[in-house]
Amino acid sequence: MTLLNYRADALRCTRCSYCKWIPFDLMKSWRFSKGCPSVDYNHFHSYSAGGRLVTALSLLDNRIEVTDRVIDSVFKCQLCGSCDVTCKMCRFDMEPLSALRELRFKLVEEGHAVPKHKSVMEGFRTQNNMLNKVKTKRGDWADGLNLRDLSKDKAEIVFHAGCRYSYDNDLNHVAKASVSILQEAGVDFGILGKEENCCGGRAFNIGYKKDFVTAATKNIKDWTNAGVKTVVTPCADCYYTFKRLYPEIGSEIKVLHMVEFIDQLIKQGKLEFKNSVPMRVTYHDPCYLGRQGEPYIPWKGKEKKIFGQVVIYEPRKPRYNGANGIYEPPRNILRAIPGLELVEMERIKEAAWCCGAGGGVKEAYPDFFTWTANERIEEASSTGAEAIISACPWCERNFIDAMKEGDTNMKVFDVIELVYKAIRKEDF
Amino acid sequence: MTLLKSAYQDLEDIVGPDYISDDPSIQDSYAFQWLAELVRPEQSHYMPRPVAVIMPASTEEVQAITMVCNKYHMKIKPISTGWYHWAGPIKDEDDTLQVDLRRMNRILEIDEKNMFAIVEPYVICAQLQAEVMKRGLNINIIGAGASTSIVASACAYAGMGPSTYWMGHNSDNVLGMEWVTPSGEIIRTGSLGSGDGWFCSEGPGPSIRGICRGFLGSRGGLGVYTKCAIKLSHWPGPKEFNVRGTLPAYRLPIHENFRVYTLAVPSWDAWADIYYKIYDNEIGYIFHRQFTLAGADLGPALWLILNDHTKTLNDIEEMVKRSDIKELTEELRISFQIILAGRSLRDIELQDKILDQVLAETGGWKVKRFCEDDMAEFTNVYLQRLGHKHLNFVWVGGYLGSWMQPGTPDFVKKYVPIAIKGLYRDAAGGLLVQCGGDALMGCGSTVAGGGWSGLEQFVSYDPADRESIKAGTKHMEDAITDAISNGIPPGKEAIYLSLGYKDEKIWDTLANSQQPIIFHFQRKIKEAFDPNDIGDRNYPTLPEDY
Amino acid sequence: MEKKKEHLDRIVGAEYVFDDPQTLEAYAKDLSFVLPIKPQFVVKPKDIDEIKMLTKWANEKGTPLIPISSGPPHFYGDTVPGAPGCIIVDLSRMNKILRIDRRNRIIIIEPGVTYSQIQPELVKYGLRVTMPLLPRGNKSVIASLLERQPTLISRYNYSLPEPLRNCGVVWGCGDISYTGHAGNGSYSLDEQWNAGHIPIDPRGPNATDFMRLLTGAQGSLGIVVWASVKCEVLPSIRKLFFISANKFEDLMDFSYRLQRLRLGDELLLANNKLLATMLGNSDQVRDLKEKLPPWVMIIGISGRALLPDEKIDVQEKDLTDLVQQYGLNLQSEIVGISNKEMIDTILNPSTEPYWKLKYKGGCEDIFFLTTLEKVPHYIQIMNETANSLNYPVSDIGIYIQPQHQGVSNHCEFNLPFNPNDLKELTKIKELYSKVSEELIKHGAYFSRPYGMWANLVYNRDAQSTMVLRKIKKIFDPNYIMNPGKLCFKSL
Repeated sequence: MTLLNYRADALRCTRCSYCKWIPFDLMKSWRFSKGCPSVDYNHFHSYSAGGRLVTALSLLDNRIEVTDRVIDSVFKCQLCGSCDVTCKMCRFDMEPLSALRELRFKLVEEGHAVPKHKSVMEGFRTQNNMLNKVKTKRGDWADGLNLRDLSKDKAEIVFHAGCRYSYDNDLNHVAKASVSILQEAGVDFGILGKEENCCGGRAFNIGYKKDFVTAATKNIKDWTNAGVKTVVTPCADCYYTFKRLYPEIGSEIKVLHMVEFIDQLIKQGKLEFKNSVPMRVTYHDPCYLGRQGEPYIPWKGKEKKIFGQVVIYEPRKPRYNGANGIYEPPRNILRAIPGLELVEMERIKEAAWCCGAGGGVKEAYPDFFTWTANERIEEASSTGAEAIISACPWCERNFIDAMKEGDTNMKVFDVIELVYKAIRKEDF
Repeated sequence: MTLLKSAYQDLEDIVGPDYISDDPSIQDSYAFQWLAELVRPEQSHYMPRPVAVIMPASTEEVQAITMVCNKYHMKIKPISTGWYHWAGPIKDEDDTLQVDLRRMNRILEIDEKNMFAIVEPYVICAQLQAEVMKRGLNINIIGAGASTSIVASACAYAGMGPSTYWMGHNSDNVLGMEWVTPSGEIIRTGSLGSGDGWFCSEGPGPSIRGICRGFLGSRGGLGVYTKCAIKLSHWPGPKEFNVRGTLPAYRLPIHENFRVYTLAVPSWDAWADIYYKIYDNEIGYIFHRQFTLAGADLGPALWLILNDHTKTLNDIEEMVKRSDIKELTEELRISFQIILAGRSLRDIELQDKILDQVLAETGGWKVKRFCEDDMAEFTNVYLQRLGHKHLNFVWVGGYLGSWMQPGTPDFVKKYVPIAIKGLYRDAAGGLLVQCGGDALMGCGSTVAGGGWSGLEQFVSYDPADRESIKAGTKHMEDAITDAISNGIPPGKEAIYLSLGYKDEKIWDTLANSQQPIIFHFQRKIKEAFDPNDIGDRNYPTLPEDY
Repeated sequence: MEKKKEHLDRIVGAEYVFDDPQTLEAYAKDLSFVLPIKPQFVVKPKDIDEIKMLTKWANEKGTPLIPISSGPPHFYGDTVPGAPGCIIVDLSRMNKILRIDRRNRIIIIEPGVTYSQIQPELVKYGLRVTMPLLPRGNKSVIASLLERQPTLISRYNYSLPEPLRNCGVVWGCGDISYTGHAGNGSYSLDEQWNAGHIPIDPRGPNATDFMRLLTGAQGSLGIVVWASVKCEVLPSIRKLFFISANKFEDLMDFSYRLQRLRLGDELLLANNKLLATMLGNSDQVRDLKEKLPPWVMIIGISGRALLPDEKIDVQEKDLTDLVQQYGLNLQSEIVGISNKEMIDTILNPSTEPYWKLKYKGGCEDIFFLTTLEKVPHYIQIMNETANSLNYPVSDIGIYIQPQHQGVSNHCEFNLPFNPNDLKELTKIKELYSKVSEELIKHGAYFSRPYGMWANLVYNRDAQSTMVLRKIKKIFDPNYIMNPGKLCFKSL
């Protein structure tokens, strides 16, 4: 696909601006009614999905050139996918999110990448991670845990920690907790340790498609060599990348997020919660696990018209609209933890407000990611919860960073941490 | 069209550098407007580019911007939620400054006791409804749906919707208004001007709102409305709008005070009769012919598809061949929706009983499949919030409305067969969606309390296909011919098309109208409030010598 | 002078041009404190053509015209000439009911059609027009609606001018146009009607709501020559209920609730003095007032169209439930007057003499719009000011009429006086002036600024004044229509 494939989407956009809001049926207040952080922060229509489609069309038709404003409007967006949900509620012929990605690919290919993204990508290419950390230290988090090293050994399940959980010392206890839970449940698994590579998803989202393909190809090869049939990850970004993007380049490996895996373990009776975790919490759906975490359905086809002009696709095109995201497993887990009270925010599941970290925003636009996160923290606070729970290290990092500048007492946890607290006595 | 540096600087001084842009990509994103392709040369999707886009945060900033427009002889064109080609600049030769009001987005007050709310232009219907429902109140959401600006529908354009029948037209619901005239005065209407609060739109003496808030509204052509108070209505349902179901098939459980029905009648005469009987008996809370917008031939299948999140439009071909769907399609051919709401259980039961009697007297029926729980709950959420209105574009992204001449049900039923025949004819070549000649949608009444309807033909074309666009334009021209040759004035399509006309053509039309004096009066009003002609021709006038 | 008369004779016919002293005297003043000025002539045109000619002629000569539709007595000074040399255009001859359309529940009437005239005609069609409280029998329906007099059924009041819909107007500048939907069609109403264009939608035409400009204008912009008015289905059953209270505040929350629920038809609140004046003969008022509770809410319910009995039953039961929730008592009669008698007495046009004049022969009204919760404060201002001037508070009638489905409330103080008692007259003048000023100062919205109120209101609202003067210049550039009213003092 190229941007040209989405020209019809641009022409068929009616500027309804649904992409700026959460689904109206789910709106519960004025305060938490917005869906698109980008347009809410940057205001001009070009910072919405509809506006970006116009930018794409104008570029394709040579009405405009790539200016700093174009770069800013194209990249100052988390690609959180809220727009995709609301647009496609009643539209079967639009793919705004895919179009926005193609627009980024085009700009990057034409040399219009965001400078800060360029330096991140240098690290990605040399150190195979998005944090510009030393490659050899990637597996340090697992030192002393005696985990099977799949760069030398084999196992059917690989635990993929991801860049953020591998390198972020404030968060990598979650990776430790994850493997501990897997061990507790008697799961036979391994890790790739320092040989683990970035999934490539964030590179993909900031427009570096070729780099993504390189990373994905290597990961698939490593897993195949290790006999891996299932990859389990605690990171929502990795999850989306493995689940939705890897099959496009030939991966057949099953993908599970840790919350799905834990949910299954609970249902199978393999995990027992021994401890009460008395806490009132609210759950933040990561975009890439929630509305973008829908199962991959292979499709290659073309548009066809029936009844004169009604657009359908031959064969039937999968409909990714957030209906089938991973919403219940994390909630099942939280509801199963003794003493824990789950209270919901207004914008949840397909209507969740983004944490602010995605789409290269964390790397390039600090004010914007901080603002976006604070919006969510305020929403979480409004529930009366004492902690905001997520299932993605990028969300958690972003909330922690944003809170440094605020005056909230809100705590941030991963679902996995709470599970760990409930099954083990000792802290990390 | 470019903006003088000095003008840009003057404007930037008002709002700050973050809230003004003349970057071509920003300009284009405002020039790109729905329906432009039907009226612009070469089927371009772009109206003329604004010279810049500016985002004021207050009435005072709007006033200052207006003064700059006067100084540099630029047109001023406000947009709030904006959804039509007339939201953008109109003429290529004009320098137009687009004023995006999205930063003016606050609900300033909800006066629960006195049943009104004060809002800024970028407060949308869904936001306000969510807030007022917590207080047992509701708002009239216009037909274009939950995404629209309340200030726009109250002060500047149209204002009717499925709930207008009970909750009033927004031109009646508007109370105090704050209006920055093109000459830069801030006018506060009704009780607001006297400093007595927002509760009344009339007086003192003649109601000033009369000069700017007529049938259509000035559509951004006569200044900027920066605040208004809107009258609220009773909401006898739960305080939380708790929908269930999987998108897009959201469902709102039907509270015990409500009934949700899709009704059908055997003939268009019966359709008019049942409307009159509903008016006379004063039953109903929301009253609309909505689901036929997808066409009487394909619509029933579409609604069932929409209610099953596993289905796509690919399913429609097979579905319409099924005998049960065929039967349903016939059953729904002349149908409409009504939601009854009772202030008490005994009240809703009585309304139900009356409705049964009205149906018996007119030979009508409740459409069983659409009154089953799933469809009724979907209908409930759909019509209560009107949050699915981009469904207008469901078939292929392009929709235009033709007909919709307002009138009594007896008047409307006269043009229905002409409209049906016309759409079958115009879609026969396959360049328009063939969803049935009757894709006629409209309010139970566009005047509060009943008596006044209007049906809009939903004509779908592909905006990505020039031939289809041309067919859309031709359909509009044909609809005008059909109407005139049957002694009916042209409908909505004439307003759409006029955006692309030269001034002289519009003036000829206005001069040949039955009472051209109206447009001379409007010229005088414009001269009085817009001496430098910075408002665009969305506020129509006739030159003195016409 | 003679030449003028000749012109007028030619336009309306000599028998409809009056300049005898008695007639001129009758039109020179009303019951308000507006200074009397004799008109030069009184003319009674029969149709729009004559009015058009009159207007043309008046523009040429610079002669002011004052349209009057209702019969006397007039109360607010709006029909009293504001300058010498005026011509009264008495529209009482234009009293035809042009259409009654049962199916669309719309009537088209001329300005001389009165409430007493129209209601019996409508009954034949199973219709009625929502009325103001006890209008005098010769009150013009159109004049009442144009002046936004409050009507009794607030739930039908979707907008303050309701049920006024479309108007035919000869503007002060001499041009004719129709307002609302009728403005889209030809000047022949029959032609419009035959084409199915029924004048129901009040908005427009086009971007302007011309009808709104005419409302509250006191005839200062043009002369309305016909209007369409929306009717209700005539109830087949009606009942009145009463709720008594010692003070207004006790009824306030309940009134808010009823308005919100739109339960019932008529809804008004009256103090004992007002109700006694409505119900009793002149010699009964005082006694009746003593028997009545200080405040009464009057609620009408009706059964109309299908299942009227059940409709009444449901409303009555709902009302009963609701009243209990508010700790109030619902009574079906008050001071021993039967329900039917009460309906006949207070929900019809007034008998003669006009009810407000029964008690003392004269009555000044002070009225304005407000939200309901502010009413007690305004009553307090009224009473304190009355006390300060030794005017008997017990004589003050108070009428609260919810409008616009409860968002606005018409608050009216009736101040009866003996017009033949100079001392009382002086006192009432002072009271009227002082209370009006105080009320306006405290946020009472005088939306219909008659007489002395005009200065008080427009002096506070420079922007509206500026806009209205611009409007006046467009529609009546030579200031011939009822000069001196509102903020239209002079060119």
